[in-house]
Amino acid sequence: MGERLSANHSGDFMALLRAHGLWRETELIPSERVAPAVQEVHGTTVIALKYRDGVLNVGDRRATAANAIMYDRAEKILPLDDYTLIAIAGSYARAMEIVRYLQHSFKYYARTQLQEMSLEGKLAEVSRALAGNLGMALQGIGLFIPVVSAYDQNRGEGRIFFYDAMGARFESVEFGAAGSGSERIRGVFDYILKTKGPFHEMTLEDALRESLLLLDIAADLDSATAGIEKVLPVARAVTGEGILDIPEEQLSDIRSTLRR
Amino acid sequence: MVYTPYDFNESVRHRTEYIEERLRDGSPVAGISYDGGVLLLTLRRTQRKIFEVYDRLMFAGLGNQSDLEIIRVGAIDFAHQEGYARSPDDVTIQRVVGFAISPGIKRAFGDVLNAPFVVRALFAEMGRKPEEDLFYTLNYDGEFVSLNWAAAVAGTPEAEEQMIRQLVPKDAEGAPDLHTALRRALRAWAVGRLWVTDMHLQEEGAESLTEERIETFLREQLQDLQVEAAILDRFTKRERKFRLLKEDEIRPVLPP
Repeated sequence: MGERLSANHSGDFMALLRAHGLWRETELIPSERVAPAVQEVHGTTVIALKYRDGVLNVGDRRATAANAIMYDRAEKILPLDDYTLIAIAGSYARAMEIVRYLQHSFKYYARTQLQEMSLEGKLAEVSRALAGNLGMALQGIGLFIPVVSAYDQNRGEGRIFFYDAMGARFESVEFGAAGSGSERIRGVFDYILKTKGPFHEMTLEDALRESLLLLDIAADLDSATAGIEKVLPVARAVTGEGILDIPEEQLSDIRSTLRR
Repeated sequence: MVYTPYDFNESVRHRTEYIEERLRDGSPVAGISYDGGVLLLTLRRTQRKIFEVYDRLMFAGLGNQSDLEIIRVGAIDFAHQEGYARSPDDVTIQRVVGFAISPGIKRAFGDVLNAPFVVRALFAEMGRKPEEDLFYTLNYDGEFVSLNWAAAVAGTPEAEEQMIRQLVPKDAEGAPDLHTALRRALRAWAVGRLWVTDMHLQEEGAESLTEERIETFLREQLQDLQVEAAILDRFTKRERKFRLLKEDEIRPVLPP
């Protein structure tokens, strides 16, 4: 018992999973053996906006496989811990597996090391998980793009980070978005910034209104995005006090005030 | 050299004496269910003693620090592998203690060529309601016992019995609130410690354990020890249910 345990005292969850054969390495398959692309389930549009108390994340509920709508209750905004949210777009299966990995990895570190993993450490862990995904992504499946929102307790502010498929990390000043609908609405973010002022000065109410409107526009321009009409989106915020789940009634009240 | 059954019995007896001698002096740990969660309490010098294992699981113990550390990390490793590979709902106290931890301790105790674990450990699992909370006490020989409502580990089994009497008084009904649970746990700690250290007490019997005697003893101990108390919070919305209680949350139950 002792020998097995002393090997891993750095709180590295990936090392623990590898040691027990539980970490699924993705591997490159020679191109002649690659089957026609699997029709995997994809999540569509997610949005992260800074606001006064932190960062607001909103995502529609649709998941698609090619032209088919697979599911209209998908959760694409998920808490990684009490101060970190992840919004996912792309391969739903792989994203969920990596989210589960990250949730456990952060907790595992905190519980074994008796201190929280630093924000930098968490962001690097997301990169590492994405880099491990590259083999699959290169073959056209398992590709997903996360947006990570965190409350930085040292600075006392919310921060938004987005990634590419290889795990490169970039910090965003005001907003972040990912998924099929996000490209279509890029200009809308800038329009709001230039006409209504920076997102980080907005109240939660205002940020919610803008984000619902953004999702609504994305749904008009992108067939894979469900928008806000049939099923309300998921909205969560990360603040200095932890994760805030925004109740459906509040969303539906705001939806009823939108001019559409 | 020929190894006979007699030698084996003899060696087990020696090991038991050796371990129990070392455990006698340990600081007890009290565990109790309350309406809003589960509480573990002990007194310590500087090193932390109560640890989060998983979402609804925590652990504390007495004995050899490095042995406790092996159990702690072993439990955390198992819980997180299982929680990831299956689901957090599959990480239960009976799997962690019964299958991940106890067999290794049992093996070490029976293996005369290896050092046994010098520990008594207390695991607590929070359920949805107080009556679903579970405690497991684990002994140095790998044997474990499961309990509801309250549990204790101390220097001797007799001291543990006395602690349980403090944790679950005869007139107790249902789950107490946090304040009452803290009060009972702190007094249970004092009784568990007194029972081992005060030679007269065992002759005089439990009746001589007056409130005054307990408080005097606690005041004395608090000169160089501090209270460590941790909860698993049943109703928090936070991802982490485990939390160490702050000084101002403990102060109200300390003797004046």
